[in-house]
Order: sequence, then structure tokens, then C-alpha cells
Amino acid sequence: MTDGWNIVVCVKQVPDAAEVSIDPDTGILNRADAEAVMNAPDYNAVEAALEVRDEVGGTVTALTMGPASAHEVLRGAVAMGADDAVLLTDRAFGGSDTWPTSLALARAAEELDADVVFGGEETTDSSTGQVPPGIAAHNDWAQLTYVEDLEPRPDEDQLVAKRDVEGGYERVAADLPVVVAMEFGENQPRTAGLHRKIYAETDFEPVEWSAADIDVEDEVGLAVSPTQVGGMATAEPVPREQEKVDDVEEIADQIAEVL
Amino acid sequence: MAAGANADTAAEVDAHSDVWVFVEQHDGEVAKVAWELLAKGRELADQKDEDLVALVMGEDIRETDIPQQAIARGADRVLVADDPIFEPYRADPYGEQFRHLVEQRKPDIALIGGTHTGRDFAGRVAVPTHAGLTADTTELEITDERYEMRRPAFGGDALATIICPNHRPQMSTVRPGVFDTPEPDESREGEVEDVETVVGEDETLTEVLEREVGDVADITDAEVVVAGGMGLEGDFDPLWELADLLGGEVAATREAVEEGWIEPARQVGQTGKTVRPKLYIAVGISGAIQHVEGMDDSETVIAINNDGNAPIFENADYGIVADYAEVLPELIELLRERLDDTPEVSA
Repeated sequence: MTDGWNIVVCVKQVPDAAEVSIDPDTGILNRADAEAVMNAPDYNAVEAALEVRDEVGGTVTALTMGPASAHEVLRGAVAMGADDAVLLTDRAFGGSDTWPTSLALARAAEELDADVVFGGEETTDSSTGQVPPGIAAHNDWAQLTYVEDLEPRPDEDQLVAKRDVEGGYERVAADLPVVVAMEFGENQPRTAGLHRKIYAETDFEPVEWSAADIDVEDEVGLAVSPTQVGGMATAEPVPREQEKVDDVEEIADQIAEVL
Repeated sequence: MAAGANADTAAEVDAHSDVWVFVEQHDGEVAKVAWELLAKGRELADQKDEDLVALVMGEDIRETDIPQQAIARGADRVLVADDPIFEPYRADPYGEQFRHLVEQRKPDIALIGGTHTGRDFAGRVAVPTHAGLTADTTELEITDERYEMRRPAFGGDALATIICPNHRPQMSTVRPGVFDTPEPDESREGEVEDVETVVGEDETLTEVLEREVGDVADITDAEVVVAGGMGLEGDFDPLWELADLLGGEVAATREAVEEGWIEPARQVGQTGKTVRPKLYIAVGISGAIQHVEGMDDSETVIAINNDGNAPIFENADYGIVADYAEVLPELIELLRERLDDTPEVSA
């Protein structure tokens, strides 16, 4: 392939985890209090997507599903260097769990004729890690998760990844198209240059697609989501003595006692 | 082609029964979480008066004692998918084989360890079977004949209850270390059944070029865990010395792992492992909720940190506000004297 790869990078707007609070009376999360930011592991995904494009050529398209305000994360990705961006936005998507979410992203990736789809390892709000494998499963594409490092082989239409596995690592070659979930913190995401930032904020408009545009209107949303949230509770802290001591001797006493 | 998203009927839900547990193995070594899941699965199957079915995939599995072990640990039946295509692990053949078995035999619930392997392929089963897949369950119970899975959300600040009212099967990945592993009962009896392999090498999408796996440290099993965080600035030596002295294991926060100070297998917390030792010593750890979540089941927690306002002190039984570099050598010396006096407790 001489004209490079069509690379899609999925990003998600999440509430800043440090700012989410829980109403002590109702146990309900006050998402609204928290600033909306790009999911932290997605920065690693965007960086990896840009690096692969720099190596093999082609384009990077940022993709997200969310309300109109999710424009912001797409602009963030474009400011970092993504060439284009698509927002999947429609009331029909509301209440989708990971099954329909990954379906919508999978259909959009097909529509974009993707060779490689990147995502972060997991999101900081839901932490399921299910969406990248879900996209791969919906499209029956290869997948590479917990990826630390990538080696594109454009001549063979393959992407080779070094993956983190329990107790070590493995190197896996996957046929295109492939979905890649980047392990959090595995690369140094580039900072957006000033001109690019201004372009993303002022001149750039993401493409918007509805559920009908990708032909999933009957297959997304709360009603078709296999899982439902049956309740949300504040995690109860385990009661602890919380005793501070001044003397190392006392710490040694406590350790000896436990043993 | 993925199944459509049309909701299953009540009859479809009723048609599913049995508790399935995926027994993850690599090169004949079983991931301990599989035994934890069999123990929990046995409890659930008894409550529902259903069978507990273990599923093992790999090559030459019949030449190992894994099927017998699975029975000794609670399985009524063991399904063995034995084929070179399953070794080493790859998401696409594992997912396809598991999907086939799920569609053919209709389990009510399937439990998979929340390891990198389990989290990698669970979705490849859940998507085509349109199963409800809950990630990283930490509590699992049956209420009104319905499974309720609880899992941490928002970095552990909240606990979400996930239900799956209209779809079968239900699936869940479960973190290592969450459930107990009782002693196996070698006198238990069960059936071992070989299943047909439905995937061929020419259909696979991936190839493992190289696999390097050393001795995996198992911090989930340790009675004593000495853990370090950013406050150590990479200086883990005194932690190893203290852990050796106490017969324990060294663990770390995610940040310390990301700095490359210690291997990822020793990470405790939301994205790492859950530990429940008798004694947890947190050194230079601030106590972010994501970390606390992985060590909150420890019996006694001791914190050493030079920042008196660090949240770890709220999650500790005993704490000392001091520099680890001063405390640890003194502590090691004091403990060495005491343990020498009473060698029988040094276990």
C-alpha cells in the first residue's frame, strides 16, 4: 500500500475523575460538577495513532460518541494532529452500554474504511476496557489490547504489537483491519502546537453522524443494552483504627503482634 | 456476523441454565483466579440448583491434571477444547470457540478471570452472543433468583450494581483476589468431556511471534505485603529487605509501576490486583482511592508517609508521619531482633 493507512482513533469525553462527587444523601454521582475532559488513556491512543501515521502515511480521524459538547475532545485530538473528526450524536444512543456503543463505533469505523482503530485501554469513568474488543468483535476484525509498542508492516498489511501479559510480554502480528487498545502511560503524548490549537478551536468543524447515518438506529440505546445499572452506592470505607504513632518502636510492636 | 440486537424473549432467558467458569491456563499453568471463580461458582450453582461447568482451552490439556483439579475444586463437568490452535492464547480463536459453546449449550452465567487474557477475549464472546458483560465484578450474589453484580465505578468512589434482566447469557470478568480459594477436595467426582474444535488456523487473524513470561509474582496470595508508591522515588531496596524479613511480597502503586520501578504484576489497585493479606505496609503511598480499593480487604494496614495529610492515614490502622528512609532501616533492625527472639512467628 502506498497511500498509507486510514487510522481511526476513538476518544471519550469523561468527567474529570478528580472532581466527581457523590451526593452523601442520595448516593448519586454529581457528574455535572466535574469538568469534561478527554479520557486520560485516550491521549496515549491519539499519540500512537499519530506515530503510526507518521511512519506509514495516511490519515488519522478522531471518533467519539456523545452529545454536542463532545466536540471538545475531538478538537483536542485535532489540535494534537488528527486530520479529521467524526461525532456520533443522536438521542437514540442514550443509555447505551458497551454492546451498542462498540457497535456504533464499529459501524463508523467501517464507514471510514479503517485499517487501524485505536482506543485507550479503558475509560476513567466506567473502566470496563470492553469497547475496543467490542469494536473488533462486531466487525470480526483482529484486536490487540494492552499494547505497549507498535511496529507497522505496511507491505504485509500487518500491525505487530508488543503486548503486556501477566508476568511478561508477547509480540503479536495482526492482519488489518485491527483494533488496538493502548496501555495507559505507554508513550509520551505530544502537546498541541499553538497554530494547530487555534485551527482546531476556530476553523475546524467535526462531521456529525446520526444513528440512521450508520444504520444502527434500532440497535442502540438503553432498550437494547444487555446490562443495566440496578443501583449506585457510595463505596463504604473499611473502618480503620487511624492511629498515628510517633515512635518506630510502636510500629514494630504492631507488626510483631499481627504476625 | 454479530447477532442482531433484538431483545431476547422470557422463554429464551428461561432456556439458559448452569454456571460456567473459564479456567485460564498458559503452558499448563492455571491462573489462580480460575480456582477462585470455581469456588464462588460452586456456591452460586448450589443456590440455583444447577451444574457448575468448567471450560478449559489449550493443547494437550488431557495430559495435565487440570480437568481433575477443576473437579476437585467444584466443577460438575469439565469441557476441554484441546487443539494446538489454542496455544499460545489468542483472542480470536478463543472467542470463537467460546462463542460456539455458549450458543450450543446456553449457560445462564459465565465467569471469566479479570486478567489481561480474560478482559481481552470476553467481549469477543459477549458481542456475538449478545450477552450482558459486566467488567471487574467485586461482589456477586443472587437476589430474587437474579444475579446482581457489583463493580467499582468512578475510580472506586462508587459501587454500581449491574443486572442483566432480559439477555442470556450473562457474563462477567472478576478480579483476581476477590474470592477465596478453599482446599481442593480430591474425592469429588465429575465428568470430563472433549468438545469439537470449531476454529481453523486459516481463519485466524493474529499470530503470536514471541512470548516471554517469567515467574509471575503472586501478590494476591501473600500474608504480608509491603507496598511502595511515589514517595520512594524508586528506592525499593528497603521494601524488599522488609518483605524478605517478614516472609511477604513487595507490591506497588500504579504510578510506581509506570515509573518502571517494579514489574506490573505487583501493582495493587483498581487497574492492578486486589490483595487481602494479614498485614499491609504502605510506604510512601498517598492513598488515592484507586489504590485503596485494591488493599482495603487487608486485615491490618500500617502506613509510613512523610505527609501527615496523606489520605492513606485514614485507611490505615497505624501510621507514622516520617521519612521512609529513616523509618525503614530502624524498623527492619527492630523487627530482626524481635523475630530472632521468637523464631516461631517468623513464618
